Amino acid sequence: MSAVDAKSTAPPVERYKAAFEARWPGTDELTALRRAALDQFLSTGFPTQRDEAWKYTNLRRLETRSFTPAEASALDAHQPGWLTTGGTRIVLVNGHWLPALSSQTAQPPGVTVLTLKQWLQREPAAVATYLKDHDQLSGNALEQLNLAFFEDGVVVNLADNVIVDAPIYIVHESTSTAAGRMSHPRVIVTAGRNSRATIVEHYLGANEAEYFTNPVVRFQIAAGGAIKHFRVQQEAPRAFHLGHIQTRLAKDARYSIHDIQLGGSLGRTGITALLEGSGAHAALFGLLAPMGTQHLDAHTRLDHIAANTTSEEDYRGIAGGRGRGVFNGKVIVRPDAQKIDARQSSRNLLLSPTAEIDSKPELEIYANDVKCSHGATTGQLDATALFYLRSRGLSESDARAALIRAFAESILSTIDLEPVHAALERQIDERFKLANEAKA
Amino acid sequence: MLSIKNLHALAGEKQVLHGLDLEVGAGEVHAIMGPNGSGKSTLAQVLAGREGYTVTEGSVTYNGKDLLALAPEERAREGVFLAFQYPVEIPGVNNVYLLKAGLNAIRKHRGESEMDAFEFLTLVREKMKLMQMDESFLNRGVNEGFSGGEKKRNEILQMAVLEPSLALLDETDSGLDIDALRVVANGVNSLRRPDRAIVMVTHYQRLLDYIEPDKVHVLSAGKIIKSGDKSLALELEKRGYDWVKQEAAA
Ligand SMILES: Nc1ncnc2c1ncn2[C@@H]1O[C@H](COP(=O)(O)OP(=O)(O)O)[C@@H](O)[C@H]1O
Ligand SMILES: [Mg+2]
Repeated sequence: MSAVDAKSTAPPVERYKAAFEARWPGTDELTALRRAALDQFLSTGFPTQRDEAWKYTNLRRLETRSFTPAEASALDAHQPGWLTTGGTRIVLVNGHWLPALSSQTAQPPGVTVLTLKQWLQREPAAVATYLKDHDQLSGNALEQLNLAFFEDGVVVNLADNVIVDAPIYIVHESTSTAAGRMSHPRVIVTAGRNSRATIVEHYLGANEAEYFTNPVVRFQIAAGGAIKHFRVQQEAPRAFHLGHIQTRLAKDARYSIHDIQLGGSLGRTGITALLEGSGAHAALFGLLAPMGTQHLDAHTRLDHIAANTTSEEDYRGIAGGRGRGVFNGKVIVRPDAQKIDARQSSRNLLLSPTAEIDSKPELEIYANDVKCSHGATTGQLDATALFYLRSRGLSESDARAALIRAFAESILSTIDLEPVHAALERQIDERFKLANEAKA
Repeated sequence: MLSIKNLHALAGEKQVLHGLDLEVGAGEVHAIMGPNGSGKSTLAQVLAGREGYTVTEGSVTYNGKDLLALAPEERAREGVFLAFQYPVEIPGVNNVYLLKAGLNAIRKHRGESEMDAFEFLTLVREKMKLMQMDESFLNRGVNEGFSGGEKKRNEILQMAVLEPSLALLDETDSGLDIDALRVVANGVNSLRRPDRAIVMVTHYQRLLDYIEPDKVHVLSAGKIIKSGDKSLALELEKRGYDWVKQEAAA
């Protein structure tokens, strides 16, 4: 008893301080910035459920672990499937760039794709300035933790009017050597005026390791620019994954994300879109499928700062076993932000009596000429439809799988990047043991 | 082929069937007529194995097997097919998937190999032609956004593809215009064979002009109260059901 007591007297977050001193002993500008971020994290600690934004997601289990920085490693022998093999691919393993597995196709002029480390080597002062401007100001403790510990990441720059057709595919893979380790990758995308690109982020692991991935992703989209973002979270079963995305949209800029959450033991994607210029549009699509004892959370925040901005949000949850899903959709319309159109829909399917999904729309509207709609439904598989399918000879499990796939399809069918669409259909089918769909 | 003895059943909590007897032989076509609420659909659902319909007494034997002991999909694989009075819309599950998955499950049960894509499409195209359905229906969600008549045709299309040995048609003629009725009847007639049987529930004599029944039964208050040949249907059309009920009560 007493040994346990003695051990638990040190606040868990203090362990991050020791890990930090071991990893970042320097005194340069960036390290000072990291240390300031760490201090901020230490003073706040992990969010608790008293914090409204974390009401349904408990981080105590994560907090009791003492993760240390993950190191580069070769891939595990058992290799989970990647989503696509074409185009530019940047592979980070345990948060570190693995050049041997990455492939760079020639980029059109005006496109720069670097690893964060490469950028640091080339322009350390610029990186420090960027991080100061973009992160010291925002308060999220976990983003501060990322700033304190990040090792590498991906930096994409698109000059004005550049159109990149081939998707830029970023693989974040965690291996079995990541057991007890944490990684804090960063993705920074700056899109010039009227530029266009597609970014695919894939987080994956297929091992028994308990690890912690805490990525930060930033998009800055200038006037008329358009970014399509596909994000597939397929971490190993025992992993913790907390992702933080922030997108700033200037006039007439467009951002869309498909937030697909399948893996991990505890996963969350926080998405903030700041609609700062008139005509900006953000579209958030999501699919969460917590099974077993998984807990998956989508926390979204659409901030209509400028007038004449629009957003749409369509999330689906499918929970089985004792799985737990959370959807939080916050829409803010600032004073004077008139002529806003914001639509939100959250639909959930519970496959077992012990599964649970909490769906929480939050509207904060300070302007009057505003169209906001939201709808949330939670239900079970339609018994009549199940019977109909079975009466045609389908087994109960095939009938269930067909209905689950149909439910997921309303999100999957909006993925217009075929390899990703096909890979996800396969994964959903596999997940719900669907006999392969016959296609004419 | 089908032998129903003293069948009592609940629909939900309600006792609907009160000792129903019916014998259907191979190669026969039977028509069941009866007032609304008499239990016709309940009988159909009980035979197809729908949850929520509980047999409290009696037996149903199909080709020597206890039909009531089988799961819905096992009944389908044994050759029982129900054309629903209200076909179900299933957005996101397309027609062709349902047809293929159903057919292959049935073939597998019979020890036959799965059909390859080419054979399957050839078969489906032929049946769609028979039902005068456009091929675009194949890739739509099951019954999704179909008109009433299209749904009924789709039921018969499924039946034509799955080739059941016992087809139960629950008011397949309701809501059809005369051309559609002819197409549907055509589809049903194409299935007639000495080793198959058809039981159709209908309100109208006109269907029987196209699909000639061997026997006609009147179902009232959960029982078959009168059976006869085709002429009984004509008489019901003229005189309604009351006289049969009175006769049965006497
Ligand atoms: N699932 C059910 N739960 C409760 N009552 C039902 C259910 N299905 C049918 N009934 C009732 O049982 C009776 C017979 O219905 P049904 O078999 O549909 O009649 P029919 O098809 O002959 O018009 C009706 O009174 C109907 O309201
Ligand atoms: Mg009926």
